[in-house]
Amino acid sequence: MDSIKKFKWFWAWQDEKEEAWLTKMAKEGLHLESMPFPCVYQFQPGEPGDYVYRLDFQTLRAKDRDSYLQLFADAGWEHIGDLGGWVYFRHIVNGSEIPDIYSDPKSKMGKYQRIMAILIVFLPIMIILIPQSRDLERYGSWYIIFEILSGLLVLLFSFAIIQLFRRILSLKRMDESGLYK
Amino acid sequence: MAQKPNNKLLPLTEATFYILLALVNPKHGYAVMQEAEEVSRGTVRLAPGTIYGALTALEASKLITMVGTEGRRKIYQVTELGKQVLRDQIHRYQIMLENAVDNNALWAASTSGEGVS
Repeated sequence: MDSIKKFKWFWAWQDEKEEAWLTKMAKEGLHLESMPFPCVYQFQPGEPGDYVYRLDFQTLRAKDRDSYLQLFADAGWEHIGDLGGWVYFRHIVNGSEIPDIYSDPKSKMGKYQRIMAILIVFLPIMIILIPQSRDLERYGSWYIIFEILSGLLVLLFSFAIIQLFRRILSLKRMDESGLYK
Repeated sequence: MAQKPNNKLLPLTEATFYILLALVNPKHGYAVMQEAEEVSRGTVRLAPGTIYGALTALEASKLITMVGTEGRRKIYQVTELGKQVLRDQIHRYQIMLENAVDNNALWAASTSGEGVS
């Protein structure tokens, strides 16, 4: 059967929502095949299946990447593809136990810290890119559009960093209380 | 006791303890996962993302080192420092155990029916 493409937008802090959506699609018989572009998901239609999807975030060098993917494969995780630093995995669900790629809150915190580190690196660059008002005088009023757009982008980045920070804090609390789902 | 130099690394988490213990003999990541689960009688179950991060961190702090490869897998083993940290941790466990075993009131309470289940 031909592949089916779906368009869906998830923010960087909505990884668990994305995982749940992919699991739901698999239950309906649509199995994630690849992510050709951001927000575009390509599915292979087939039998409905009980899979758990997990997104990791890694910025590994090629030589470390092989052993990383091999470890996941050994542990029963099928590597579907990558998008930016995101690595997509799935695992078949047998019985009531839901497999996971992180077994404690501390290591899961590391994932969000890696995403946040990248956003924090880019944030100052974006702030620098906001056109100054003196440019506005020089280039005319259409520059306002750029100014608004880059301003919005900075706001969005800041919002993403706050959201990720909240995730890290809640995992930290979980770690300290010894509770982990 | 050669504990002072390793103070920053102690106490080890249960997961780290079993990873180091498994790596007294050289192993790849998945073999570490299996052995930790087996020798801990199922109490320590490590997911691949967690073990990958732990191996990277332990290698960076020089407690383990890569000793070879098996296909795409990296084989790790504890270093002398890693063994020393492991022994220091075991010494801590021994102190904990002795304190608990010698505490008569603790064991008396468990038979008097006052214990909280």
